[in-house]
Amino acid sequence: MTNTNQTQGRIVLQANQVRKSFGSKLNSTEVLKGINLQVREGEFVGIMGPSGAGKTTLLNVLATIDRPTSGTITIDGNETSKMKDAQLSKFRRDKLGFIFQDYNLLDTLTVKENILLPASLGGLSKKAAEEQFNDFAGILGIKEHGHKYPHEISGGQKQRTSAARALVNHPSMVFADEPTGALDSKSASALLGTLEDVNKSRGVTIMMVTHDAVASSYCSRVIFLKDGSMYSELYRGDKTRQAFFQDILNMQAVLGGDRVDAR
Amino acid sequence: MTLVDLVLRSMRKNLKHYYLYFFALIFGVTLFFIFSTLQHDSSVVEQTDLSAKMASGFQAATVLLFGILLIFVTYANDLFLKRRSREIGLYQLVGLTKGAVSRLLIIENILLGAGAFIVGLGAGLLVSRLFLLLLMKLVGYEGFVNLSFSGAAFLQTAVVFAVLIVITSFRMFWKVRRSQLIDLFNDDKKDEHPKQPKPVLSALLGILGVAMIGFGYWFANSTYMLNAFLLLNMLLVLAFVITGTYLVFRVTIGWLMTLVRKNQNGHIGLAGALSIAPLMHRMKANAKSLTVITTLSAMTLAMAGFAYSMYYSTEQETRVWVPHDFLIDEIGEGKEGTSEERAAKFAADLDEAGIGYVMQPITYLELNASYTGDNLPDLLGWEGNTVTANVFDVRQLKAAGLDIEEPKAGEAVIHDSGIAWLLTDEVFPYEASIAAGQTNEKLRVTSLGKREVASGYAGVHSQLTVSGETYDRIKAAAPAETHQLVAFNLADQKDLAEASAIFRPYRGDMTLDFYTTYKESLSYNGIMIFITGFLGLAFLVSTGSILYFKQMSEAEQEKRSYTTLRQLGFRTGEIMKGIRRKQAFVFGIPLVIGLVHSIFAIKSVSFIFMSTDITLPVTIAMMAYALIYLIFAVLTIGYYRKTVHAAL
Repeated sequence: MTNTNQTQGRIVLQANQVRKSFGSKLNSTEVLKGINLQVREGEFVGIMGPSGAGKTTLLNVLATIDRPTSGTITIDGNETSKMKDAQLSKFRRDKLGFIFQDYNLLDTLTVKENILLPASLGGLSKKAAEEQFNDFAGILGIKEHGHKYPHEISGGQKQRTSAARALVNHPSMVFADEPTGALDSKSASALLGTLEDVNKSRGVTIMMVTHDAVASSYCSRVIFLKDGSMYSELYRGDKTRQAFFQDILNMQAVLGGDRVDAR
Repeated sequence: MTLVDLVLRSMRKNLKHYYLYFFALIFGVTLFFIFSTLQHDSSVVEQTDLSAKMASGFQAATVLLFGILLIFVTYANDLFLKRRSREIGLYQLVGLTKGAVSRLLIIENILLGAGAFIVGLGAGLLVSRLFLLLLMKLVGYEGFVNLSFSGAAFLQTAVVFAVLIVITSFRMFWKVRRSQLIDLFNDDKKDEHPKQPKPVLSALLGILGVAMIGFGYWFANSTYMLNAFLLLNMLLVLAFVITGTYLVFRVTIGWLMTLVRKNQNGHIGLAGALSIAPLMHRMKANAKSLTVITTLSAMTLAMAGFAYSMYYSTEQETRVWVPHDFLIDEIGEGKEGTSEERAAKFAADLDEAGIGYVMQPITYLELNASYTGDNLPDLLGWEGNTVTANVFDVRQLKAAGLDIEEPKAGEAVIHDSGIAWLLTDEVFPYEASIAAGQTNEKLRVTSLGKREVASGYAGVHSQLTVSGETYDRIKAAAPAETHQLVAFNLADQKDLAEASAIFRPYRGDMTLDFYTTYKESLSYNGIMIFITGFLGLAFLVSTGSILYFKQMSEAEQEKRSYTTLRQLGFRTGEIMKGIRRKQAFVFGIPLVIGLVHSIFAIKSVSFIFMSTDITLPVTIAMMAYALIYLIFAVLTIGYYRKTVHAAL
């Protein structure tokens, strides 16, 4: 069930006129200048743009890690921009999953402990949690490393651990910030392949920030930001990944800056 | 820009790194200056008779104080350097030579030291008066004392502090010299990686650690302890207990946690992820410092508990040695007439002053005796030798007001506080053969009396109390050995001070009155508890601060984890629950082990308290320690809360 048609599926994320400024009132820089965005269930959305375009800020604001200066954000019917901190924490834990560039695994926990950490406060029974672990660790190929510590496994395995941790709670949406940024190309494509797989087979909604055209070619839709505004977007549709990749490169050329090596 | 400019700039920029080290230095100066002032102050020396009694005690304490300050300041210095290693690396990266970098650090250190010296001295001047009042109260001196600025104390503090600064500067120099650029950049994130421990080996070592402590405890309180090798035995116990403690920290705790964690099979939960996991992770690096902290805590607790018990029990313990309020002895320099004659004069003086009393003549027989029994202590060398025994009539002692047990006919009770600790229950009963004139009186010694029955020369040898008939029989056989004492016991203890002044001319060179002895031991024990309390406070603040500093840098290192957890949707409150559990371990384990160590240590020397139950004073001392110690735990948790809160 690929999302060839943008009108298919329930809307998971809706952003209206999202603005974000940093600095004091007198001397502020507007990083996001009124973003409007919809993400439907089962989409795999990439966000691209040159350095300083506001990619990561957008992701943080949408992912409730940061608050917008103005505008509304609704995820799964909940208006997150109006929630209090404590509510937001609970919301993140129950509804969202995160994958970070530098993995953000806890060094003192084993792979399995890291993956099961979000489940610990979710009221999931031990048996159910065990099943979830077996399920996702199996898909991501890290089941046999469950008892190892992060420093004992490779970067790719670490990122897959991080992905399993993001998925184990069955979140409404997974946010990934440059998940392949620290990986070699082989590990990167393995991870992206798995994410694409999970997205297609399980309908998990993913939003990923990347500056890498190869990475974004795995997405079903790529949004281009420039100077804090939406510049354009591309749908993959039925195209092959290679064809989509070419489209993305062309768009980047138009956008200028941030030259990317095609790997 | 000169080096000094650079120093000043970096100091201004790095204030938040400095305050910790600066605090350590100031604390060191203040403590040392107060301590030094008190021992050099002339009024203190006069009032407490310091020069004669406790000068050596103060000196030993000064060395200990310097030792703990050295440990504390070097620890803070190490931490300080570690936090700034990136900066030190950066200086080298931009082309400063190692010599210039160490010069920079040493100039900084000297400037910091000078600042701390001035602040510390000021603080010391302010609070030393408070400590002086406390000391005077403890030694029982009531009156006005004046404290002046002591040049000698200033000089001593300056010298000691200069030594501290030289040592820390040298360590800085050494660290820069030995360092590799790459290490400097990695120093603040250097972490040991957790390893799976070898199960059999850690189980063995883990159990061995506990066993060693257990053996040390058992040995210290066993009969094997008290023999000619007492000192060696004590060292053995120390070695066993300290090594055991190290193993407990290094292996046992980690091993137990591994078992718990294995049992959880990955379902560790948030609280576990923030307590058990980082604790296991750092146990190896922390084992040494936790052992030092535990040992210091145990030492402090034992010292404070013991000193406070001494102080607390002064009156009762003095009664053990000086059973009567006043005793007129027959021997002594400058005494004229028989004891009865002098007693009559003293009684007249008391009557004149309007003081009520009971006067009771006490006679005793100084005889040779030989003891035989199955379990006589080897250390006394009684077996096969003739010893002197003073035989007392229990009727007279009772009439003088002593509360003692009455031996049956043919039996005796031995009173000898000096060797009481050797006369355990299993020594009794034993047979005594007393040479009385031509005959030998056979007595069965059934038990140990709780106290002496007469002080002075009469109390030098073991005293045997016997029933009236037995006494009369022995006296009839050896009338020439009779000695005559007269005991006075006041009707009202309030008159003791006045009566003691009246007694002075009758006293001679022996202290035979309760009041003077009591006052002297009170001032002795007062100084003792002051010194141990002061040292204890220094130890306590040092160990507490070291733990606090350590946890501060751990919090910094773990900040990233807190950020991640907050991003994943864990609330500060939930995270703090795990952190509190970790702090309960970090502070609780050294405290609990230290407490248990000190309880056993005090138990093994508690025999010197003849007639006092020291449970109460020991409990009070330990509670006070634990309470102050826990303040550091609360401070630490506060710091963590700030860190977690700022993490997102």
